[in-house]
Amino acid sequence: MMIERRALVGAVVLGLCIAVAGLLVWGFAAPYHQRLFFTFLVNLIAVVGLQVFMGNSDITHFGHVGFMGISAYVTAILATPVAVKRSALATAPFGVNTFELSPLVAVLFAILITLAVAFLVGLMMVRQAGIAATIATVAFLVIVHVVVMNWVDLTRGPRAFYGIPPKATIGWAVATAFGAIVLARAFRDSRWGLQLRASSEDVAAASAVGVPIRKLRFAAWMLSAFIMAVAGALFTLFVGTISPKSFYFDLTFLTIAMLILGGMHSVTGAVVGCVIVTAGVETMRFLESGPVFAGAKLPEMFGLTGFFLGLVIVLSMAFRPSGLLGSDEIDDIWHRRRLRKAGVEVS
Amino acid sequence: MERHGGPLVVSGVCKSFGGLEVLHDVSLDCRPGEIVGLIGPNGAGKSTLINAITSLMPVSSGEVRLGGVRVSNTSPQFCAASGLGRTFQNIRLFTRLTVRQNVEVAFTSGQRDRPDLSRRVDVAALLDQFDLTRFADWKAGALPYGSQRRLEIVRALALAPDFLLLDEPAAGMNAGETTALIAAVRRASDDFRCGVIVIDHDLRFIMTLCSRIFVLDAGRIIASGTPDEVTRNPRVIEVYIGHSRKGKTASTEERKDEQHA
Repeated sequence: MMIERRALVGAVVLGLCIAVAGLLVWGFAAPYHQRLFFTFLVNLIAVVGLQVFMGNSDITHFGHVGFMGISAYVTAILATPVAVKRSALATAPFGVNTFELSPLVAVLFAILITLAVAFLVGLMMVRQAGIAATIATVAFLVIVHVVVMNWVDLTRGPRAFYGIPPKATIGWAVATAFGAIVLARAFRDSRWGLQLRASSEDVAAASAVGVPIRKLRFAAWMLSAFIMAVAGALFTLFVGTISPKSFYFDLTFLTIAMLILGGMHSVTGAVVGCVIVTAGVETMRFLESGPVFAGAKLPEMFGLTGFFLGLVIVLSMAFRPSGLLGSDEIDDIWHRRRLRKAGVEVS
Repeated sequence: MERHGGPLVVSGVCKSFGGLEVLHDVSLDCRPGEIVGLIGPNGAGKSTLINAITSLMPVSSGEVRLGGVRVSNTSPQFCAASGLGRTFQNIRLFTRLTVRQNVEVAFTSGQRDRPDLSRRVDVAALLDQFDLTRFADWKAGALPYGSQRRLEIVRALALAPDFLLLDEPAAGMNAGETTALIAAVRRASDDFRCGVIVIDHDLRFIMTLCSRIFVLDAGRIIASGTPDEVTRNPRVIEVYIGHSRKGKTASTEERKDEQHA
């Protein structure tokens, strides 16, 4: 009982940090920074969603952004006004250009459809671990991309899908991020999360104490897909225009870098990694454009952002393979400090 | 379906890896509450037998029954649910989890109803009984070696098992730790009314702890009986103790030989 309360406190503290930042941005920031902060929140939700599967099962997952893409496109197709769709999706199947749903209902459908896909893929995923599972996730991402690119009647293919009602607000994004963090912590520190983490370390030992490994992997997979679906829908309803490349390797790479840097075994790590990489990427984007800095005009350096992300992954793998936070949550750190103060020796 | 109180019976188990027969027609049994030893030189197939009993690997023929229910060729999870708890020769702890969490994993996923026990299994009491309370918040990977071995036993006991299979629990322990381990295993066997099958190379440990001993050599049971009977058995002396007159003095030499295992 004690442990669960402590985890809840840790999750709420993390969530409150996000909420306070959200209030400040909402109150004072310029539109550019508001957009930046919103994108940060979407990435944060995605990284937390990725952590739910990757952090607890220890299976490297490159397909998470595929779920975002599915959800984003379903939301877009259902929520975009008929007036836009009549011209943009003139040849759409299933009569989707003859009706429009309110954004909230569209999001519900998007989540359900994403979960249905996740269910089918998950049945196959849970049977394997390690490199086989990872390659399967990459394949999944590619499949989603190819379908979106080529089902032109439904998705406009490689062209931008525009006219989506931009109904999402910073408030919604903050609330969703808060919810995702609490959900991820609740799972991680539940008995199922604990058992899954145990099985990720030693399959034989976990089986021998009765851990139902496949069921737990499946549960984490579905919860992860759910959070990714919410992130995808939120993103769509904020930017109003999406294209297939919004949900491909760039975003995969970005979110993986965030999770690896922070520490994939920890939700706190996911959040910390997201903050640091976002700050880093923004700095790189500034430098990339060749700004005037201290009186000197710097050269334009396109591609600096990608270079930076690669560097983050390489350096964390080389010097801190378990990430900044390792497998610790914020409340684990407090807890150990308190024990040490009380004179208890803690490894 | 009353299972508690039934024996663990291994009958005619064979196990081959390709053309290599590792276990040949192995039969043994263990009654509830009984502590049975399984000894034999390296490569005799002792750990393979434990793995076969707990369905970590399938048997080629023969079967294992627990209280009449077949547990061989099922799944490790089914074996845990049927009342088999085990430890591993090369320690397999969940190193990123704390000591307490290691036990909780077993406690929450595999613990069964044991109406025959007077009190419920209690993680804190188990940790205490095996001298692990002060390490409860440590990451299991940071534990001293002897404590890691004890934690594996506690984790298995958290299942409230009918039978406990210990694969070299005393390996790497000093004399004091081994003595404490003997007392702790006896007490656990009493508390849980569980039978114990224990593998070890420390003959003094086995002779003190066990009421019956099976000797495995090259995949075959070559002798069984009380510690006295086994140590007097000429075949055992020939293949296992060989160069020594008395079983007692063999233990240290044997362990030196087999440290690489």
